[in-house]
Amino acid sequence: MPVSPKQARTLKHRSWVAFLVVPPIVFMSLFVVYPILSAFAYAFYEWRGLARGEFVGLANFKEVLFGATMGPVVWNAFLHNVYALIALMIIQNGGGFLLAWLLYKEPFGFRFHRVAVFVPVVLSTIIVGFLWKLFLNPNFGLVNQALYSVGLDALAKPWLGDASTALGALILANAWHFVGFPTLVYLAGMQRIPSEIIEAARLDGTSEWQLLKNVVWPLVAPSTTILFTLLFIGAFNWFEIPYVMVGLDGSPYGTTDVLGLVFYRTAFGNQSASIQNFGQGSALATVLFLFIVVFASMLTLWLRRREIQF
Amino acid sequence: MKLTRRILMGAAVGGYILSAGAAMAKTELTFWSWRQEDKAFYQDVIKKFEAKEPEISVKFETYAPENYQTILSTALAAGRGPDVIQVRAYGNLESIATPGYLLALDKQAVPELANFPDSALAAETLRADGKVYAVPFATQTMLVVYNKKIFKDAGVNPPQTWDELVALTQALKAKNITPFANGTATAWQNETIVAALLSSQLGKQFEDDIVSGKANFTDPRFVNALAKLKDISTNFAPNFTGVDYASSQQLFVAGRAAMFAGGSFEVANFKGQNPSLDLGVFASPVAKAGDERLIARYYDGGYAVNAKTDKKDAALKFVRFLATPDYGTAFTNTLKNLSPIKGIKIEDAITQDVAKLADNSMSYLMLVRFRYQEPSGSVLLQSNVQKLLAGQQTPEQAAAEINKGIATYYKPFQK
Amino acid sequence: MTIAFAPSAVSAQSDTSRSISFAFLAQIILILNSFIMLYPVVVMVFSAFKSTGEIFEHPFAIPDFTQVQNFARVLGETSMPTYFLNSIVVTGASILLILVLGTMAGYAVARYESRTNTFILLFFLAGLMLPLKLAVIPLFILLRDLGLLDSRWSLIVTYTAIGLPSAVFIMAGFLRSLPSELEDAARIDGASEPRIMWSVMLPLARPPMAIAAIQNAVPIWNDFFFPLVFIQTDSAKTLPQGLTSFMGEYTTDWGMLFAGLTIAAAPITLLYIALSRQFIQGMTAGAVK
Repeated sequence: MPVSPKQARTLKHRSWVAFLVVPPIVFMSLFVVYPILSAFAYAFYEWRGLARGEFVGLANFKEVLFGATMGPVVWNAFLHNVYALIALMIIQNGGGFLLAWLLYKEPFGFRFHRVAVFVPVVLSTIIVGFLWKLFLNPNFGLVNQALYSVGLDALAKPWLGDASTALGALILANAWHFVGFPTLVYLAGMQRIPSEIIEAARLDGTSEWQLLKNVVWPLVAPSTTILFTLLFIGAFNWFEIPYVMVGLDGSPYGTTDVLGLVFYRTAFGNQSASIQNFGQGSALATVLFLFIVVFASMLTLWLRRREIQF
Repeated sequence: MKLTRRILMGAAVGGYILSAGAAMAKTELTFWSWRQEDKAFYQDVIKKFEAKEPEISVKFETYAPENYQTILSTALAAGRGPDVIQVRAYGNLESIATPGYLLALDKQAVPELANFPDSALAAETLRADGKVYAVPFATQTMLVVYNKKIFKDAGVNPPQTWDELVALTQALKAKNITPFANGTATAWQNETIVAALLSSQLGKQFEDDIVSGKANFTDPRFVNALAKLKDISTNFAPNFTGVDYASSQQLFVAGRAAMFAGGSFEVANFKGQNPSLDLGVFASPVAKAGDERLIARYYDGGYAVNAKTDKKDAALKFVRFLATPDYGTAFTNTLKNLSPIKGIKIEDAITQDVAKLADNSMSYLMLVRFRYQEPSGSVLLQSNVQKLLAGQQTPEQAAAEINKGIATYYKPFQK
Repeated sequence: MTIAFAPSAVSAQSDTSRSISFAFLAQIILILNSFIMLYPVVVMVFSAFKSTGEIFEHPFAIPDFTQVQNFARVLGETSMPTYFLNSIVVTGASILLILVLGTMAGYAVARYESRTNTFILLFFLAGLMLPLKLAVIPLFILLRDLGLLDSRWSLIVTYTAIGLPSAVFIMAGFLRSLPSELEDAARIDGASEPRIMWSVMLPLARPPMAIAAIQNAVPIWNDFFFPLVFIQTDSAKTLPQGLTSFMGEYTTDWGMLFAGLTIAAAPITLLYIALSRQFIQGMTAGAVK
């Protein structure tokens, strides 16, 4: 059948568009969609090392969430993720908001401060973790040395070995690492506020605090939405800082254990427990996955509703 | 220009394939290990083996220890993997022997198995079928390493009894010396400390009773030993709950502490970092004079043959070579690491001491007996001792927690 | 802070003094914050010039900067240069792939009307939301089956998959904003579609490409999790993972540890200081609308 010039053109056009679209989609399907769907499937099987065994239904999920061995470990870790989320929301995102407001006024040297606050953000988390681990060393570390040198010996502690401070130390190291990110996102958000709005508020004699609370905060709500969502995802995927600073076991005695560490230990084993369990690892990943997706979407929707359009 | 390059490249590739073809006449074995630091030694051993068996060559490849198990099981599950494999022992061995990845060894195929004590072979035996799957390579012991110079300067001697140990730590402290370099921040260090300091107080009978189910971990022997450990821990490194493995090594190597409770494998490690150290070893002190002095012992692992290899004969020849007293002697003297092979000649004085102490031993309990299921005895011991020494629970509570965890799968404790 | 809480009905005079003292307070907070952000990095660099003994005895002292033995040893006797090279290769190749594939999909969605466009965008939006970390087990098995495990390719494909969705959105968003007159003119001149894309549109799209590149390059350069699972051979390790082996090997030599950290941190920090505006813009691009 002869092909009309128009048909030939659309055919050519179509194959051109296909040439553009198909490779990226195939790539994504192979390396994102397929693994994620497989992760769901794997969770329903028993695994012997890397060999897939029997279909076991929901047994892995049951063990991970309510089992005598895994259950308490998982919930203990989950609680620490929640602590980290709340603490980082206040310190990291809240601190970022205040710093952004100070930078927004463009005081003397604000260019320098803006660059400085973002320096730790570009460093690798591994570097940040090791650096703070060395600084927090109880006998030779910078933090205790500094306390000794100003006579505050009583405050010196084995920070990462003490159950009451270890998780807090990890959270602070993380905040040091990332506070620059919310700072500059909020700053960009503030710079988008039409200057007339702030001028008008000032002319009304609004106090600094009220300006911040009643004008700026509501107007940067889109930044808050996205920062909180990112923090939420980050907090429940937390792995690198704890891994480097307290090790796979969440030392001391599980007081810094987080879901990322539990997942890694379960799936890939560690020195003191040789058992590698891909089934339970996949079940844990699936649960976490659904939790993150469902909550992150709900949060985004809820936070979006309180955003003001301008 | 382009064309000539292509022709040249083609020729080069062809030549490579041809030369590889010529080499095929020789049987080439691959041999995997996690002992990167022992590479020079193994290359030397391979040279000797190749001189003896000219038709076989061996390629030695190492992988990082923390990932070794994962890489190995990945390769084996894919039906690949090396011909000869350095494997670990106990629960770790089971996870690769159970799926049938390893060739069972018997005295017919490997007569040299007779060179090993039964406890060493037990470490490489699958509990389910009672067959041996690897030729053991190293005995490890848990004991106390001490700095002879510090002891001499302070005018003290290695203790025999627990009371002498307490007196010793007081004498050292009076001279402003940190008695033990140990810290508890790294979880697994808690397990080594328990074994290095408490074995003589627990006793072989305790191990037998645990295995037979006559006793469990709430037994007074275990609880009392933990209480003793709690008392002595005031002599660990300053701020010991925050001192990790690296920092405690650091303290000991720098001569800032007199003793290190840990593995005999630390000796070579310490010497490597500070060759001027003059070191000695002693077994855990006894509760009262006359009790049996014990160290805790385990076997590191062994050399196994891939069940799927098509070079079985050559692989077995190599494994048999690794089971001879000559090999054991070379292993022990070069690596300062005790080979379990009977009849080896030890040159190094401190390794001789370790070997002598190893004659009187109990198992490194949690690794040898309770690292087959979750929650492993090791994980339970580590976290609960960590908690105990941090002052967050009593010895009774720690013992009860450990017992409860193991009882979830260990039948004798479920009564 | 009391000043900021003061009631709003105040005279003009106290208003001025109020803003002055507020500015003063702001200065103090900003200076303190910058000190906290930078001092640890400074100590890291200083300590790299010291011996372990000096670090323990004089942790705060300014070192003798001619003492570069630690650096010489890190570069001379460790695998750090190899890790470094691997990081460059992996990051470079991933960014290239992300830009090529991201531009292709972004261009198609932005410039050609199609009923499938929404579907394609939703498809990539899903990729943007899902943390691939949690699918590491199947990814591990997939890469094993493809024979890519324990090679730099395993990382390159993973990072490309993670970075692709954001690149598609950045590119589509920008390309959509370009006026259609440009391509219509070229079309009338008889230029083919690939020609229009390559010679007319893409030369205009360099700024969003730079943003997509920076946004992905920093996390890829710094990633630790995927190499930890996929890579075992020392010669294929990237910097963050190599750093953990290095830290394990030299645990008791703090001078070496700090030198290693300094060397690992140096390139990206210096690049950031030189190109801070682009870095900040690129890295916050996903969060700033």
